[in-house]
Amino acid sequence: MKPLYRSFAMFIKQIFKDSMLFMVCIAVVLTAFFIRFGIPAAEKFLCSYFNKEAILLNYYLLCDLFLALMTPYMFCFASALMMLTEYDENIASFLAVTPVGKKGYVISRLIFPAGIAFIVSVIILSIFSLTEWSVWMIIIICLLTSVSSVIITLFLFSFSHNRVEGMALGKLSGILMLGLPVPFFLTNKFQYLFSFLPSFWIAKLCISENGIYLLLALATSVIWISIIYKKFSRKMI
Amino acid sequence: MIEVNNLNFSYTKNPFIEDMNFIVQSGEIFGFLGPSGAGKSTIQKILTGLITTYKGNVKVNNIEVKRHDSSFYENIGVDFEFPSLYEKLTSRENMVFFSSLYKKRQDIDTLLESVGLLKDADKKVSDFSKGMKSRLNFIKALVHDPQLLFLDEPTAGLDPSNSRRMKDIILQQKAMGKTILLTTHNMYDATELCDHVAFIADGKLRALDTPRNLIMSRGAAKVSYTYMCNGKEVRNEALLNSIGNDNMLQKLMQENKLLSIHSSEPTLNDIFVELTGRALQ
Ligand SMILES: Nc1ncnc2c1ncn2[C@@H]1O[C@H](COP(=O)(O)OP(=O)(O)O)[C@@H](O)[C@H]1O
Ligand SMILES: [Mg+2]
Repeated sequence: MKPLYRSFAMFIKQIFKDSMLFMVCIAVVLTAFFIRFGIPAAEKFLCSYFNKEAILLNYYLLCDLFLALMTPYMFCFASALMMLTEYDENIASFLAVTPVGKKGYVISRLIFPAGIAFIVSVIILSIFSLTEWSVWMIIIICLLTSVSSVIITLFLFSFSHNRVEGMALGKLSGILMLGLPVPFFLTNKFQYLFSFLPSFWIAKLCISENGIYLLLALATSVIWISIIYKKFSRKMI
Repeated sequence: MIEVNNLNFSYTKNPFIEDMNFIVQSGEIFGFLGPSGAGKSTIQKILTGLITTYKGNVKVNNIEVKRHDSSFYENIGVDFEFPSLYEKLTSRENMVFFSSLYKKRQDIDTLLESVGLLKDADKKVSDFSKGMKSRLNFIKALVHDPQLLFLDEPTAGLDPSNSRRMKDIILQQKAMGKTILLTTHNMYDATELCDHVAFIADGKLRALDTPRNLIMSRGAAKVSYTYMCNGKEVRNEALLNSIGNDNMLQKLMQENKLLSIHSSEPTLNDIFVELTGRALQ
């Protein structure tokens, strides 16, 4: 296990050396503050301006969901960009012929960042959420957003040739978040057009707390991961 | 040390590496000689466990490489064809990191010194020249003092003095009892360094022997000489082992009419062309 931790520590060090990637991580905290304090302030202003009881209030849950997905999304995005840099430098294949091994490399670049993102997003959601959450719900939702964010790392690493392409694709991969608002705005059967997105099922789960949605969120994530993993694995050598 | 039986592999649907068989003895330098694109790096990737989708048997230290565990690499050092270094870190930081991955470690400054990089130890790798990067990449394979070394084109792109330095370290490693597999498209390096040379062309192993046997087994040494005839310089060749039958040469020698004379052995390149129909460069 030691070589694995060493190589992960180096990975983190590289992320901190890279100011752009560091900014990505800072963005998480800034967004959290914006949601926690900016949104209620805006709600107060809008309500008094339009003389209504609630305008944004109905979407507080959506804001919380966004908060829960934001952290893993950003972390996995940063991880993918760092992997692309390591790919350019041939580090990935070299670490595969050290005691870290190919498996160790994949674990330290895919699973570890998602794991840390899980912990951070649990903390962020507990502190900054706008609505009431049970501990279990926080854990389940953050677990699901973290697992689904692994798709981001796999996708960006497998389909871009360098960092610049990675950045561009990063914007495209925002589509994966698109599933979150769908159940809030589309209540007819057209919403199921988005059923290929794990985020869609995560939002459904939050709204109705039905266990079947948990399974569907997990299943869609796993399907995406296993589809892209083949291409990812081939790029590694 | 290494045993390869009926190895088959291809990146595509078309056959590439087919029915390859060879054995590498402990303590020897074993070279893969072949032109660019022949499959030398691919063979090394298979031997080092990077490519695991091969067919056949590849045993390194008695372990089938596709089933290796991570301790497999404690005793193997790999120098890729292209540098694999953290560009934003200094050369010493790189070495400290990579050596931290192993149980056994060597003194880093000594290694840096051995390739003349100690004075650049605190320079960032991104500021290194190509040659400096290959030298650093090379000693990176030695940080854990491995028993088995895989070197992919270790001298390519180096100036003569650095190439000399590198070859001396390779020979020094051999003297310490290490087993070394290297690839090269440079016949002089193969002749000088290798105990056994495998000719690789189009993914096939075309010949395998000591450099000396390869040179001797084919085309005998030749003697070429020049002389004046009707005001023009004429060049002639004779085989060294039947030089007594060359009447012209005898006559020229008796009359002191030779302009020049020298013998030449075929080079590995000549043999390579003869056996594979391809040139090395
Ligand atoms: N990852 C890869 N995917 C597909 N083809 C490859 C890959 N790596 C190498 N090749 C092809 O395999 C052949 C042999 O390459 P290589 O082993 O690098 O040759 P050498 O090291 O002798 O120059 C080349 O035709 C090359 O284009
Ligand atoms: Mg090569």
